[in-house]
Amino acid sequence: MPRILVIEDDDVTAREIAAELTSHGIDVDRIADGSEGLLRAADPCYDAITLDMMLPGMDGLSVVTQLRAQGVVTPVLMISALCDVDERVRGLRAGGDDYLTKPFAPDEMLARVEVLLRRHRPQVPQTVLSVADLELDLVRHVARRADKELSLLPTEFKLLEFLMRHAGQVLTRTMIFETVWGFHFDPGTNLIDVHIGRLRRKIDVAGLAPLIHTVRGSGYSLAQTD
Amino acid sequence: MRKLTDSWRSTTARLILIYGTFFALWGGVVIGLIYWQAASYLGRVSNDLIGRQATYFSMLDERTRLHALNDYDRLETRRLNAWGVFDAQGKYLSGTITTLPAMVPVNGPVALLQRGVARNDSSSDEHGRVRAAAVRLQDGRILLITRDTSIVDRIGTIVLQALLWGLSLTVIPGLFGGLLLSRGPWRRVHAIRQATMPIMQGDLARRLPVSRHGDELDMLAGIVNAMLDEIERLLGEVKGVCDNIAHDLRTPLTRLRSRLYRLQQQFGEDSDETAALDACMVDTDALLDRFRALLRISELENQRRRVGFDNVDLAEILREVHALYLPLAEDRGQQLALDLPALPFIHADRHLLLEALSNLVGNAIKFTPPGGLVEIRARTADDGPWVDVSDSGPGIPPDQRDAVTRRFYRTESSRSTPGSGLGLSIVSAIARLHGYTLEIAGSERGARLSLHCLDAAGA
Repeated sequence: MPRILVIEDDDVTAREIAAELTSHGIDVDRIADGSEGLLRAADPCYDAITLDMMLPGMDGLSVVTQLRAQGVVTPVLMISALCDVDERVRGLRAGGDDYLTKPFAPDEMLARVEVLLRRHRPQVPQTVLSVADLELDLVRHVARRADKELSLLPTEFKLLEFLMRHAGQVLTRTMIFETVWGFHFDPGTNLIDVHIGRLRRKIDVAGLAPLIHTVRGSGYSLAQTD
Repeated sequence: MRKLTDSWRSTTARLILIYGTFFALWGGVVIGLIYWQAASYLGRVSNDLIGRQATYFSMLDERTRLHALNDYDRLETRRLNAWGVFDAQGKYLSGTITTLPAMVPVNGPVALLQRGVARNDSSSDEHGRVRAAAVRLQDGRILLITRDTSIVDRIGTIVLQALLWGLSLTVIPGLFGGLLLSRGPWRRVHAIRQATMPIMQGDLARRLPVSRHGDELDMLAGIVNAMLDEIERLLGEVKGVCDNIAHDLRTPLTRLRSRLYRLQQQFGEDSDETAALDACMVDTDALLDRFRALLRISELENQRRRVGFDNVDLAEILREVHALYLPLAEDRGQQLALDLPALPFIHADRHLLLEALSNLVGNAIKFTPPGGLVEIRARTADDGPWVDVSDSGPGIPPDQRDAVTRRFYRTESSRSTPGSGLGLSIVSAIARLHGYTLEIAGSERGARLSLHCLDAAGA
């Protein structure tokens, strides 16, 4: 069972995070102080950390900087009330792995934490990703479904790679937009849907079990349905 | 360079001009009065003298008179005096004057002959102005004596010259002084005008320059600055209230959304409540999007530093935006054309520029009916490249073109289209941050929105 350290001084937010994570089978420890959080975060038993930027004792930016200086590689999700792009860049540069702005939807937070957990688990560098009968050769840039080669545009390839790397996980539209395109603005709801729709038409052809699923209210996930 | 007429419009120059004119007129009146009094006094004295002389001569006997008249003539070496004796009909008998001018009344008052009298001892036709008196002698003959009184005129000339010199020595330096004096205030007015430009363009943090003189202009600038302080404070308050509302409402809205989400999870896919919950989620998401956009604008407006600025490839950004929106346009049966010439690199924030151009293209696609055409076209100019995004939608009426960049503004025709009415405000805020301009025009088919990426070095 994965274990997560939540460093957050606002009680309401902390409870919200804990409730969402616990309900998805994740163990949660809560700390409200920055310097105490730094001590606890060094414990290798944690699989990920959510870190508020504004904390009593020591601010989140210093916590993540010192953590990385100590050689701790536990993934960190930075949470801040500031949605400034500068702030995001600073957080990620200091060693944060992802950045979320307050107030956030719990499912968005959960989706990001799950991606971080997956990243934390030791992975063999893969050259071929596969989900059910879908195969993605990262070296030769070839995608195959049921042994039939698919012709994908570069963006579609990147999108599929992201979905397959996190197969079985819910990926929100914002996460997809940030990771695949690298943009940090609000593109409007249906733009990502259209791109997913295209990819879906190429992958989930008639007669085959659909792999790309819409998660109501959240985003998408690529998984084999039983 | 300012025009000379502008200088004369200034207060100082105008005062100097009015005062100079007044001074010249008053000086003219005073000197004219002096001249007139002196001339009339001298004229009276001369007339009196000539009248007496004529009477005196007429009372002498013939021989003595001849002597006396010759002496009278010779007495003045410059031939100022002259005399003539004429018979009763005015025919010349003797003396230096050869003709009896008709204008001189016999036994009358002294006459002033502007053209002088003809003399037999002078070949020249030039005759100075003379005063003449004619008396009838006892035997009926007429004696005419004249005296050149140009000395009086000369005094007049001297007085007149004094007047002119006096005027030119006071008025001309006065005018130059006025021009020089007006230059200082003019320069300051120019500085104030320069300072107001950014304020009018929305940079309310700027203030008018105040010099150390503490004069009227500084007092005025001080008053305007105090007014600007107040306006800035009030606007800040209004904006702060808006931002706070947006910020504070986001938290409960986000909670509302998470509760809806949890309910949705509980009910599962195919319950009766699912459709209603979905509609609730969509509305909540739209509200949250709107608040996010609102806060984004205020964040962009507060961002004065140019942190993420770098040399970016505009062509690459346009290709990315084109690729991002192409599927959306194709799904709507629209054509999304990209026309790129060779473009220079520009100094900009890559992410913000992407956001602005995405908004422009997304907007154009949204307002173009299925089957329409959206064109992204770049063109180069000396002061920086232009990006035109034109569509074949309904267009933006000319009277609403300024308003569409305002927050929440939507044209009448766009009310039925989903959206927050904040997209162009974001574009406009990003443009302002870069020092770019956003131009909204019409094209043959629909609307054309152009972002002019002004070269900061060239501007």
